[in-house]
Amino acid sequence: MQPGPLADVRVLDLTDERGIYAAKLLADLGASVVRPEPPGGDPLRQRGPFHEKTGVSLWYTWFASSRSIFTCDPVDKDSLSQLQQLLERADILLTCDGGFALDALDISGARERHPALVHIAVSSFGDQGPWRDFLAPDLIAGALGGAVAATGVPETTPLKTFGELNFMVSGVYAGIAALSALYHARATGEGQRVSVPVHECIASCLEQVLMLSWYGGKMNRGRILPRQGGTHWSMAFTVMPAKGGAIMTTPMPDFDAQLAWLAEEDAQQDLFDEKYHDPANLPLYIGRLMQVMRQWVAGQNPEELFLRAQERHAPYGWVLPIERLADNPQLAARNWFVPFDVSGEPVNGPGAPYRFSATPWKNAAMAQVNGDDVLADLGWEASR
Amino acid sequence: MSRPLEGLRVLDFTHVLAGPYATRILGDMGADVVKVNSRERAIAGNGPESPYYIMWNRNKRALALNMRSDSGKALCRRLCDNADVVIENFAVGVLDRWGIGYTTVSETNPGAIYVQMSGMGHGGPWSSFVTYAPTIHAISGLTLLTSVPGREDIGIGYSYNDHQAGLHAAFAILAALEARRRTGRGQQIDLSQFETGVNFHGPALLDWFANGRAARPVGNRLPWDSAAPHGVYPCIPKGEGITGERWIAIACLTDEHWRALREVMGRPAWAMDPALNAVEGRMKTIERIDTEVAAWTRQHDALTLMHRCQAAGVPAGLVQDGTDLTDHDPQIRAARFIQPIDEPGSPLGQTFADRLPLHFEKTPCDEYHRARLLGEDNAAVLKDWLGLSADDVRAGEADGTLG
Repeated sequence: MQPGPLADVRVLDLTDERGIYAAKLLADLGASVVRPEPPGGDPLRQRGPFHEKTGVSLWYTWFASSRSIFTCDPVDKDSLSQLQQLLERADILLTCDGGFALDALDISGARERHPALVHIAVSSFGDQGPWRDFLAPDLIAGALGGAVAATGVPETTPLKTFGELNFMVSGVYAGIAALSALYHARATGEGQRVSVPVHECIASCLEQVLMLSWYGGKMNRGRILPRQGGTHWSMAFTVMPAKGGAIMTTPMPDFDAQLAWLAEEDAQQDLFDEKYHDPANLPLYIGRLMQVMRQWVAGQNPEELFLRAQERHAPYGWVLPIERLADNPQLAARNWFVPFDVSGEPVNGPGAPYRFSATPWKNAAMAQVNGDDVLADLGWEASR
Repeated sequence: MSRPLEGLRVLDFTHVLAGPYATRILGDMGADVVKVNSRERAIAGNGPESPYYIMWNRNKRALALNMRSDSGKALCRRLCDNADVVIENFAVGVLDRWGIGYTTVSETNPGAIYVQMSGMGHGGPWSSFVTYAPTIHAISGLTLLTSVPGREDIGIGYSYNDHQAGLHAAFAILAALEARRRTGRGQQIDLSQFETGVNFHGPALLDWFANGRAARPVGNRLPWDSAAPHGVYPCIPKGEGITGERWIAIACLTDEHWRALREVMGRPAWAMDPALNAVEGRMKTIERIDTEVAAWTRQHDALTLMHRCQAAGVPAGLVQDGTDLTDHDPQIRAARFIQPIDEPGSPLGQTFADRLPLHFEKTPCDEYHRARLLGEDNAAVLKDWLGLSADDVRAGEADGTLG
């Protein structure tokens, strides 16, 4: 099997939830990533869900895939010395502020001795500013970052996204920081530190939120979009209840084709009325069209409607639960699910978020590396 | 000081959000991103004067190319030969029809990194399906899980997966550049936006396959771990209606956080019940805790309360809307995250960039140039990439090749 695209890259992973996705992305593309943990185990091994049979954390299994795990006792001199050696031989150091063993490492010394070293420093709010020391787990990060206010419906509170979706944004950004700084280091020999504030990462990924705040007035819209569930800010995409489920429907990108479809099924009601076809009345037309579509969708099977829509090149989306993803025909045809090693037992989980034609992605099992022989085990010493 | 990707050439056929977000990131980091558009396609959100276009297409140069003409296709082929990266997010097959599919491009430019960001990926029974972010949210489980128990019609209130597909594409390109350094060869990257979205459910999917447990929405609680209180609570409104509401998020992940919150609340009798000292006890009465905390927060200003909580060691945050972020957020201001862009004559008035959220110590990404009009950089791009003269470009514009 060919090596992954990052086969020559060595990474020391000292991240927590805010940055661990970066380490996963790098490791699954073939980088040699060592994740140190204290003798009592990585605290992230306590994150649910757990494998019922073995008690192993499935959260950790996924986020720590393809990693070499190095047990390090921060009060033991030899152990710390090995950790420092790992740092001295790394191309990329990934950290989250307050993380395990950070205080014991001589990062500035390592950078002086190895100027090409790239240090990616993930933190909730960056290196300065009045909120620098705020505590911000995913919910708080999403609230301050603007994601929570944009989600929910009037009859619910503002809502966070499921799981760690905010930290997956900062995670990918940290990965991008690592590889772009590495690209520069490969070309010039100059490494550097890159600060990755979660707060700014989240605010960068809010689609209409900043746009409306800046230009909403000029667009004849308010500066704040009230939370409106699955209805897109354009009002032309919305999630509608259907028979036994729900479906995201839209007249985009071809309103006329949608109208013709409704007419074919004698569901057009008053939509051919001239008043709706004056360009000045577009918002009125969209509102009425969505109302008529809502009635039309209500009695239909969402799976059948989804497939019929896609035959017409209409970008509807059937609202699928997790269990329907597991037997999804598209994912099956692309052999997408892959086995993860959970205490020696193969358990299916997500495959690659992208496919490389020449240097494949893989999700290797976690491997415990022996503290005494860690450098030799990794082959790091021999190749630098 | 140069930016980290100076000298990298990116030929950008992307449109709407996912693809342009990927190339925006590369452009912010100094890559020469040439955005290919045409008169025919430069409409709605793909039109250079639309706010949506302006948001995602800064730091790129604009080339207008008529891909319906043979001469436009031929010129495009030459551009592909000079690109480090070719990227598109059309439905499957469009670039093949233009004669610049991967097989063709790689014959003459084996170092090209060729990224295709289709909705469903190349291959499979759904590969021709048409998708936007709300489609992907629905079919990937993101809509169903971002909700409260019993409702399937809420979902994420912005195009999360478009941004994430863009981020993953940028990351994949950088990984392929590292591989090219080692092997000397480029490659094709097939990014299915659907698979990127499903990928985010890693732990939930493992839970399904290992234990047969299907994840369901949990509102603002944690799906698998115990934390209480962990929610969003009302505060004194700042104005009328739903946009005038004020909320605070509070996340007691540890018993220590809870003890600190109790102190901030003034040690109310209900909270001093020893049965609530440990999270197991709090989880048994989490509805009551949420009700009591909400009754308390309702009496307070959200911003003040956030500061009191944080000072006491309680993770808490104001639920910020867009105007909070752009007008008031002191952290955003301290980081200079928002930068005015010099754009004389814009119908939008003053325009802004939300800067790349990566702070490089030695290669700072501080240049933010406005989105360019259709074909505005024809002459400069064709001179830099292909060595064409001003006369060549004028001829191309006159015969409809460039436009």
